[in-house]
Amino acid sequence: MHRYLRTLARFWSASLAAEMEYPANFVLELLAEVGNLAGSLFVLSLLYGPGQSLGGWSWNAALVVLGFYTLLEGLTSTLFQPNLSTIVTHVQNGTLDFVLLKPIDSQFWLSVRTFSPWGLPGMAMGVGLILVAALRAGAVLGPGTVAAAAVLLLASAAILYSLWFVIAATSIWFVKVWNATEVLRSTLVAGRYPVSVYPAGLRAFFTFVLPVAFLTTVPAEAVLGRASGSWMAASVVVAAACLVISRAIWRYALRFYTSASS
Amino acid sequence: MTAPREPRARAVWPLVRVLLSTQYAYMLEYRAEIALWALSGVLPLIMLGVWSGSGAGEAAGFTPAMLTRYFLAAFVVRQFTVVWVIHVFEEDNLQGRLSPYLLQPLHPFWRYLAAHVAEQVTRVPFVAALLALLFLLQPSLLWWPQRADVFWGVLATVAAFILRFLLQGVIAMACFWSERALALERLLLIPYLFLSGLVAPLETFPPGVRAFALATPFPYTVAFPARVLMGAEVNLGAGFLGLALWSGLFLILFLVLWRAGIRRYSAMGA
Amino acid sequence: MIIEAELLSKTYRVADKQPGMAGTLRHFVRRRHRDVPAVSGVSFAIAPGEMVGFLGPNGAGKTTTLKMLTGLIHPTAGTVRVVGHDPKRRQAAFLHQITLVMGQKQQLIWDLPPLDSFRVNAAVYGLTPPEARRRISELADMLELGEELTRPVRKLSLGQRMKAELLAALLHRPAVLFLDEPTLGLDVNAQARVRDFLADYNRRTGATVLLTSHYMGDITALCERVLLIHQGRLFYDGRLEGLSERLAPYRLVRLELTVPQPAAAFTGHGEVESLQGNQVCLRVPAAQLTGSVAQLLERFAVVDLEVSDPPIEQIIGGLFERGRVDDSPA
Repeated sequence: MHRYLRTLARFWSASLAAEMEYPANFVLELLAEVGNLAGSLFVLSLLYGPGQSLGGWSWNAALVVLGFYTLLEGLTSTLFQPNLSTIVTHVQNGTLDFVLLKPIDSQFWLSVRTFSPWGLPGMAMGVGLILVAALRAGAVLGPGTVAAAAVLLLASAAILYSLWFVIAATSIWFVKVWNATEVLRSTLVAGRYPVSVYPAGLRAFFTFVLPVAFLTTVPAEAVLGRASGSWMAASVVVAAACLVISRAIWRYALRFYTSASS
Repeated sequence: MTAPREPRARAVWPLVRVLLSTQYAYMLEYRAEIALWALSGVLPLIMLGVWSGSGAGEAAGFTPAMLTRYFLAAFVVRQFTVVWVIHVFEEDNLQGRLSPYLLQPLHPFWRYLAAHVAEQVTRVPFVAALLALLFLLQPSLLWWPQRADVFWGVLATVAAFILRFLLQGVIAMACFWSERALALERLLLIPYLFLSGLVAPLETFPPGVRAFALATPFPYTVAFPARVLMGAEVNLGAGFLGLALWSGLFLILFLVLWRAGIRRYSAMGA
Repeated sequence: MIIEAELLSKTYRVADKQPGMAGTLRHFVRRRHRDVPAVSGVSFAIAPGEMVGFLGPNGAGKTTTLKMLTGLIHPTAGTVRVVGHDPKRRQAAFLHQITLVMGQKQQLIWDLPPLDSFRVNAAVYGLTPPEARRRISELADMLELGEELTRPVRKLSLGQRMKAELLAALLHRPAVLFLDEPTLGLDVNAQARVRDFLADYNRRTGATVLLTSHYMGDITALCERVLLIHQGRLFYDGRLEGLSERLAPYRLVRLELTVPQPAAAFTGHGEVESLQGNQVCLRVPAAQLTGSVAQLLERFAVVDLEVSDPPIEQIIGGLFERGRVDDSPA
């Protein structure tokens, strides 16, 4: 365990140093994040006419959902996406072998190897938006609420991580998986809005097929102090299942790699 | 001056045919990837879901049926105006493929244009399948546009594609000066996303923002063709004029930057 | 014995697959393949501290065997034991004792100085910082690496990069080194330095080294024993002298002349390999090399002259053409 933590610290300090070689990225990414958030806020404001509600959510409550979306998108650009592209590069260049020969869990290595600081402002904006909007919506952020929200945020991060990692794992067969990530990204956009906004069919899809509901709506409910026990339990179960599945798919991919690669 | 022109004119058509047919064959090889690309253009459909759950559309004079038509039309327009020329250009530039292209008596961007057209042809069955699936799940979404609307709508979509191609071509010229041209494209995507009408009809914008949006090229790339396709009342003349003016501007910019870029490229001996 | 392979075989199921994603998907739904043997029934044993060269033309099965020894590929049949472990289980205890260096693939972080990559590796192998520092400076001395360690990898020359790769791969003091083309693409000086280092490292630490190379020079400088593999079978296992005398009793002499000469002008000096304008390449028997070179310099106006070993590809290719290997002891 200690070794894994030390390795993680080394991984991240090395990636940080590598990213610092391109400081112009910071300004560009910050601009992009701010622009995206401003655009999302603008569209959300269009969806709310004067005094109206969206899917039973007040303006401030919906902002909490948008806050979680921004936070998770920041996390994606900080961790999930850079590591996915590293995995794809490993498979393309055949350097996956080096990773497999290290005395450390390969899924751990491939999931946290790189770290891009440019998603951090997005994450900070997301947290800020969640806090401001929740307080304005009249939420009481007691220890129970914060703990529940933290657990559900972890669950949603685990679900999102699994989705990305499974796509990364399929690169062992398909090598080029960018299109698949584009499909994922473009569908996850649905998480910008509370899931109750959507018509029944889409709502079912975003709950049972692509668990968008658990990514943003459920944690937002928790912050607003109105999460139901069954939704929270379901969220944790879905997260655990996603992690187990991602592990199983990775092991299967490795078995394929070691028996079929050349 | 007609004499030297004739052989060139005769040579153009076979060239176009060869370019398009080889690019089409190439794209067919990647049809599974193209299917995924088509699938990744679902944003207008998601936004249709959101807007139908909100009363704000109706407040702006959009009935549920109009909302449906608008976003379905926007979906189709988006599918056939996808442009990725900056990615190939950067790749060709980095991999050193640009130099051999420059030696050929054909501007490399014609090649890219042919690739885009071929990709769109490959895309047709997937878009049709997606729409069919949608109508199967939700028959109430079905509507048949007027023949004239289809004609003008397709024309507007093609013009919108050319505008986007030229705009991205201008941005792609940054590859000659910087390694971060793709980041510029990422920034450009933001106003495209929010001002083009892809996520919200322009009619729902507050008047000030709407006027601002209309002063940019973005609404011509989605909102205008989508409104033509859905059969809404539009000023065709003004729309096509806007498309032509912006395209002309970007074409001039593109050509100027291309010449400067090539001069720099050959000076560096890359 | 530190490495033991017994009747090792690997058969690939090669898919008859159309290129592209579409073909991949079709293949995914309905598979059609042929079985292609890459390695068949290879057996050998290597004692601790030995340096063994692994020879064979491209596609002979060298890399496949190497990967089976490291556990990256699971054998179809046969058994392998390396430092007492079954490689394919990839246990931590096994991984701590081996290392793999691939000449054309790199593990160093491109944008950072090698030191940062070393620190990552040190953490992965659980070395304490002072221990890591000691080993880095020790290996850096042997490799003659100094300020290069604090320069971004992308700014290093190929030779410097390879030396840094070696350092990264040896930080955890592996008992067995698997080297796949470690000198590929290096210039003659850098090749020599890498060779010297490997010999030195083997002497100092008693590590076992198994290496493949296209350059006969690597093998002759380092390996007393060679394994020759062709079409997946082991054709020769023994001392290098026996092999190199039998297989490559000649050298290539490349000349650049001031005036082009016809091929006939070189009769008696050696077999003409290629002749292009004023560039000529002769195949000269090793025993007559000195004499031949002296004569050539005397008879022709020579701008430049270079003597080299024939590429291993050519030696082995020629060998199989002449069908001389069939009766070699396996």
